[in-house]
Amino acid sequence: MNNTLMKPEPQESGFSLVEFRTVLRIAFYLALSDVRARYKRSVLGPLWITLGATVGTFGLGLLWSQLFHMQAEEFVPSLTVGLILWLFISGILVDAPTVFVRQASTIRNVRQPLYIYPLQLVIRHLINLAHNVPILLVVWMFYGISFKDTSWMALPAVAVLTLTLFAATVLLGFLGARFRDLEHIVAMVMPILMFLSPVFYRPSYLTLNKAMIWINPISHWIELVRYPLLGESPSPFLMATNGALLLACSLLAFWLYRKKHRNLVFWL
Amino acid sequence: MIRIAFQDVTVEFPIFNARGMSLRNHLIRIGTGGLIEKDAVRHQIVTALKNVSFELRDGDRVGLLGHNGAGKSTLLRTIAGIYFPTRGRIFHQGKISTLLELGAGMDAELSGEENVIRMGLIQGMTLEAIRDLLPAIVEFSDLGDFIHLPVRTYSAGMSTRLMFAVATCWQPEILVIDEIFGAGDEAFQNRARERMEKLLEQAGLFVFASHSGELIRRYCNRFFRLEHGTLTEVDADAVHV
Repeated sequence: MNNTLMKPEPQESGFSLVEFRTVLRIAFYLALSDVRARYKRSVLGPLWITLGATVGTFGLGLLWSQLFHMQAEEFVPSLTVGLILWLFISGILVDAPTVFVRQASTIRNVRQPLYIYPLQLVIRHLINLAHNVPILLVVWMFYGISFKDTSWMALPAVAVLTLTLFAATVLLGFLGARFRDLEHIVAMVMPILMFLSPVFYRPSYLTLNKAMIWINPISHWIELVRYPLLGESPSPFLMATNGALLLACSLLAFWLYRKKHRNLVFWL
Repeated sequence: MIRIAFQDVTVEFPIFNARGMSLRNHLIRIGTGGLIEKDAVRHQIVTALKNVSFELRDGDRVGLLGHNGAGKSTLLRTIAGIYFPTRGRIFHQGKISTLLELGAGMDAELSGEENVIRMGLIQGMTLEAIRDLLPAIVEFSDLGDFIHLPVRTYSAGMSTRLMFAVATCWQPEILVIDEIFGAGDEAFQNRARERMEKLLEQAGLFVFASHSGELIRRYCNRFFRLEHGTLTEVDADAVHV
């Protein structure tokens, strides 16, 4: 048989930038239409997320500022950012183990690179996150917090967070396809992680052992984005840990993807 | 230039039992040094294709025969690049499209129109191409104003018509088809058959799996028979109508 004329199939050679651009466009459209589908079911549409987060912010803000004996103008903005970021991060992590399993019928029947599904999931949650930005603005105006030069650092911080979460989604997605109970394990662990992360408080409020919260990667992510929004630049410690988390998640995800992307379809 | 070549391709896949799919059981096994939950590591390996070799070129119209479980769908998915071989090599040249189970990418909450775009994108079309083809797809699926309603309001026949219309609206170079005739009512079945025939005529190369010897003899010029994962090429005369 004469094979010299034939090129190996494209998927063998792996990743290409041209392919990535196409895949990104498809993932973006699908994510947008996922969000649309979700709000076909309710009249308020996208505002449901915003409303829920607003009620949560103000209700908890008033209650907890009393409990913690904190000034509301200091506590509420911090809580707002914490809660919005928590919704984003936990939303992705809870969905991640089923990212491939839910798409089983698509994966088995059409040929698309597997990373399209984590991409779609992360973009969908980014769109949800964008819905909550108005609350931030309202709270900032209400308490008269001014945007400083450092505030813009929140954008690269969100970018780093998003990339890390994308890698984490790939990882959890592969593991969740092979081990079906991971979904439940993640759902079970999330409330614990919530109390172990600075959603309702700042690490500096803690009188007990601060090392406890820094075990939780979510703490590092939340603080990285929150500092610039509250007008300070993140500490070198936070930049280092977030860089390390991004690197570690990406390398692990890349390794697992390379090693197991051929096997995944058989696990579904 | 369109070609597909398989060299000694073997496809095996694992079947895990419920224990093997549980991370908790794996952790217990590791934690107890394998005293408990020994079963968690055990899984069966199914050999779906055994040392399959063939070469297909432009103009080959392959009919694939075999009983349920003989490996037809596995072979189709391996040709399509969805399944990967455990051993052996595969060469592809040309853009491959699949007509396996229909409806990938569908979301029942969204309108038919929106779903046309979703399904089209996921099967590899560009947004512009789908938008151009949208009127033709709507007309072919015969859904009328239903196209603006959520797919969950459709009858089974209606959603099948829509899925079929999207799946067959474009012209692939290499086509991999699992038997999908028999969509919708009789009138639609005739149109579906016409559309399929046109699609098959225009495809540079196709592999078509079916239980029906009659259909295969009508459309194909090469005949593969799969038995327990082993492939043999047979003559037209060996294909029973």
